[in-house]
Amino acid sequence: MKLLTHNLLTSHVRGVGPRGFPLRLQATEVRINPVEFNPDFVARMIPKVEWAALREAANTLQLGEVPTEPVEGYERDEAFLRKMHHVLLEVDVLEGTLQCPESGRLFPISRGIPNMLLNDDETES
Amino acid sequence: MEPGDAGLGTKGAPRFFCTAGRGLEPFLMREVRERLAATQVEYMSGKVFFITCSNLSMIKNLKSAERVFLLIKKQFPLTASSPSKGKILHEMRRLISDDPGSWLNAISLWKSLLENDAQKEKLSQSISNPLKRKVDENEIVISKKLKVEVQKNEEIQQAFPQVKQVEESALEQGDSNAGRENLQEKELEDEVEEAADAPSPAFTFRVSCRCSGTVAKVFTAQIFIHLNDVYSVLGIPLFSLENRIAMRQRMECEVMQGTLLGKICAIFPVKTRVPLASRTYIQMAGLRSTIAWAMASLAEIKAGALVLDPMCGLGTILLEAAKEWPNVYYVGTDVSDSQLLGAQGNVKAANLQDRIELLKVSVVDLPLPSECVDSIISDIPFGKKFKLGKDITSILQEMERVLRVGGTIVLLLSEDHRRCLQDCGESSVPQIPPGNHPADPEGKENTIPSETESSLGEASKQECLDKMPPFGSLVSVECYKVSLGKTDAFICKYKKSQAARCYLPEPHCVQSSLLAS
Repeated sequence: MKLLTHNLLTSHVRGVGPRGFPLRLQATEVRINPVEFNPDFVARMIPKVEWAALREAANTLQLGEVPTEPVEGYERDEAFLRKMHHVLLEVDVLEGTLQCPESGRLFPISRGIPNMLLNDDETES
Repeated sequence: MEPGDAGLGTKGAPRFFCTAGRGLEPFLMREVRERLAATQVEYMSGKVFFITCSNLSMIKNLKSAERVFLLIKKQFPLTASSPSKGKILHEMRRLISDDPGSWLNAISLWKSLLENDAQKEKLSQSISNPLKRKVDENEIVISKKLKVEVQKNEEIQQAFPQVKQVEESALEQGDSNAGRENLQEKELEDEVEEAADAPSPAFTFRVSCRCSGTVAKVFTAQIFIHLNDVYSVLGIPLFSLENRIAMRQRMECEVMQGTLLGKICAIFPVKTRVPLASRTYIQMAGLRSTIAWAMASLAEIKAGALVLDPMCGLGTILLEAAKEWPNVYYVGTDVSDSQLLGAQGNVKAANLQDRIELLKVSVVDLPLPSECVDSIISDIPFGKKFKLGKDITSILQEMERVLRVGGTIVLLLSEDHRRCLQDCGESSVPQIPPGNHPADPEGKENTIPSETESSLGEASKQECLDKMPPFGSLVSVECYKVSLGKTDAFICKYKKSQAARCYLPEPHCVQSSLLAS
């Protein structure tokens, strides 16, 4: 699971609502995959990023400092884009857990795939 | 569509045609125009004809075609009004002998296309042994040797190292009858001798003749064609004799006759033995890749988009989309471990793990904030385990929630699902007079679309605001009926409009408001 994906995920346990984001990440196995740098692609992903959540996840994985906000003119800032490319796309959490910050519910990550299926009593519908 | 056209179009640009699954022809026509800058694109009886200067590797990139052929000849059908074998054979003979030039042109064109292709590409496509026609469509395309020899006429004398026995003989033998065999056997014997004697440039073709329509009632066996400077001969081969005939150059041709409206006979060589639809980059095939690609082509995928397939199975749709539109982030979800494992294998084999993420998640309960996805493409499973009514509506409800305004949904639906969705009022056409609500199969509250409020009566409008329309903002854009082989299905496209929404438009939407009643 890449950090870009983690940045999208929110807990959908019943009653939790917007407080289900972001999921607390805990990783036992992480792999760094080299991914071809595509500045255009990264630049397009930047506006979609929830920065606080990304910083938190990056800190958990000890990836170094992630800026609070994208710098002005980030589209042309290659150093910035490369850093974001690395954090968002090259870090793969293979084993670990995601935890709902509100309910504490743990979702396992196994073989790089998070399992976010809820039991019947946990779902909203 | 001039009869007797040779294989070359204007200015020497070759003419091709492709077969496509029923329903995919409009996608193919669009694709040849866009991808190959094709001209004179015609559609006729299940085949799309076109002219292009693109090379073979470009043509092989066609995603909605089944097979591609180089056109040798297209002309009016053999008159099969009196279906006598002799007459038809005579006609076919004429077909070839009247105009050997077009055959030879096409052959040299074919060779040059293959030469260019071999030089450019690594030898990983199977242009090799064209004998094996019957190929399992899910087979991984591996060719151990590339059989494209740049053969000058003199070199034709070299025998092919491996002349594989023709497997289809088992298939065809049932059709031949004793009487015909004897007749043809004699003819072939003569030819064999002549071939042995004549040392020089000779193209020998084994032609498998496929006939449909009236002609098919006469015979369906294969046709043997031998062309050289001296003669051109047609015959029906017997497989026992095949061994003895040293085929110098093999090319498969198919002669087909359009039936009902077609009225055109086209002759062409098969270029690749495995259909284009069988992708080299897909290890384990789920949905037919031509359909998956066609669906993705409708989804308005743009660079930087987030595309979701919430019932991804083996990931075929995402693979096709990621190959075509690479600067996009794809997320696939499924509830089944085995499917996800298969998808993961596929993604790795296609080297797309940078772009495709997988999650184990239920489509009716997506752990995603509202309005965060740009496109959703999905093959809604058919079959009994998916009840009509409740399940399909809750699926679409959840999809609608996570889709951003202006986003696109493309679904593959069975007839039943589609009908159900129409009944539940997801269509943008609100021509439903107030009080006349089509019944929902499960007897649940029915709803009507809300986005064209102006044309709804006051009473209906009020009703709409009280009850939450499940797909209030989804507008049906287009729908294509396609064949999946045994069954038909519909590719349906929806867009999310700027409709009045009955739920809070915040990024992390609270689900509960949807379920107020």
